[in-house]
Amino acid sequence: MKIENIKKEFPIFNNKVQNNDLVYLDSANSSQKPLVVVDRIYDFYTKEFSNVGRSVHYLAVAATNLYENTRSAVQKYINAKHKNEIVFTKGATEAINLVANTFGQKYLKEGDEILLTELEHHSNYVPWHYLRKNKGIKINFAEIDEHGDISLEDIEKQITNRTKIIAITHLSNVTGAILPIKEITELAHSKGIPVLVDGCQSAPHMKMNMQDLDCDFYAISCHKMYGPTGLGVLYAKKKWLDDLPPYQGGGGMINEVKKDDISFGELPNKFEAGTMATAQVIAFNESINFLNKIGVENLVKHENDLLNYGEELLRKNNSVKLIGNPRKKGAVLSFTIDGIHPHDIATILDEDGVAIRAGHHCCQILHDKLGLTASARASLGVYNSKDDLDKLNESINNCKKIFNK
Amino acid sequence: MNLKELYQEIILDHGKNPRNLGKFDNFNKDAKGHNPLCGDKVHLFLKLDENKKVNDISFEGEGCAISMASASIMTDLMKGKSEKDAKEIIEKFLDMIKEKDDIDTKLLEEDEKTKLMSLGGVKNYPMRVKCATLSWHALSSALEDFQKEVTTE
Repeated sequence: MKIENIKKEFPIFNNKVQNNDLVYLDSANSSQKPLVVVDRIYDFYTKEFSNVGRSVHYLAVAATNLYENTRSAVQKYINAKHKNEIVFTKGATEAINLVANTFGQKYLKEGDEILLTELEHHSNYVPWHYLRKNKGIKINFAEIDEHGDISLEDIEKQITNRTKIIAITHLSNVTGAILPIKEITELAHSKGIPVLVDGCQSAPHMKMNMQDLDCDFYAISCHKMYGPTGLGVLYAKKKWLDDLPPYQGGGGMINEVKKDDISFGELPNKFEAGTMATAQVIAFNESINFLNKIGVENLVKHENDLLNYGEELLRKNNSVKLIGNPRKKGAVLSFTIDGIHPHDIATILDEDGVAIRAGHHCCQILHDKLGLTASARASLGVYNSKDDLDKLNESINNCKKIFNK
Repeated sequence: MNLKELYQEIILDHGKNPRNLGKFDNFNKDAKGHNPLCGDKVHLFLKLDENKKVNDISFEGEGCAISMASASIMTDLMKGKSEKDAKEIIEKFLDMIKEKDDIDTKLLEEDEKTKLMSLGGVKNYPMRVKCATLSWHALSSALEDFQKEVTTE
């Protein structure tokens, strides 16, 4: 599959949005869906639908197999050691909540510390905050440097002998910083500290290799990865999934249920209570297929070229200020324009058909640190082209004209 | 009017020259408004005279062009209005920006209505409606002596 022609695979680009060709630069928020994924959902509901894992009739068995096929595909895509290390959740947010809740319940007590970074999305901060409230846990933040980056040393500085878990992003959704996860994990493990990685932004843009990163937990958002909404993946090392208590109780996750006691099912069922997002899981296999057909190396190269091109364009554009200049950067261009509020920028760009995000991007801690209430963010996906970035720049110029900047 | 035209108009008129910006000394009512989504903040100052008429009104604030222009336009047309009339104008403005096609009141001149109608361009954008209505909610809260900061979130 050639990347130059990839836009054709996404039906959304066949339609005008408010009479404009769509320039979609909000993939860090959520990606568009290729037709194969949309079709897969339709086909499942129209030809193959049944609930998984319960009944013994033909459709139920077929659906169960399809569901489990996606688990295998994900395992392969992220190079996890065991298939059962893949847990489906309703999103990356739930994946992180699952760990914060179960790990917190079993291992954390008053005075213990959790180490996050100032780059974290609210989904990798708020779940831990509950532990602060309920258990008296202390949350520390590794601080960003002047480039909006976090180094191994920045993490090391904040580790104390009370640090019980480190939870960090792989790729910042604002500054684009790619953190040295493998090194951080190595350091953490040398001190006996497990590591959770928020992989929402990295999984759609980088080669995934769980065994190489060696992290304990990795959260993935499927809708940012050309997949359906309502679905996330928690990768966790088997020893943790065996060890941690179930997160939610319900059907499908039990072994035996008696009036006086309940025993829980084996992995992966233990963490998948109730009827799961079945159609989404099955369709997500097509997203993985789609990514495999492109080839992650090609994807990385394409997006890096675009990122460099976009950075160059915006750097040359007077009064546009890029946010973050990390050592390794991925797929996002966050910026401000002197004297123009980011929401005004986004509204005016929208009139030109250019869809970007404005706000704090669920990273209020980071924006506070940067002294900003909001920023504008153009983020990339496989379907973007240099043309899209030219249009972004043109539209920014329109915006400046309106505001006399 | 599309949003681009709206911007062109309000920025030319109020962006460069916001009216009634800054605190004045002898205000007797004030209220703060905050739109956490945009980070828009407005602090409204008001002096009602003994006949409950708006003797003076001003605002301090920071935020997007729409929230600032809206505060500027609002403070301009509230001067000299009675408390009762001010409340009616607020109500009719909020009706217009949320759903109605016009501002149904005899208390405003046509050109004043036209200015307010231009802000109606945000109607289909609920997130931006919050920007346009922030100062209006703050004024309403100042008139009610409501002590808490209002929020359009």
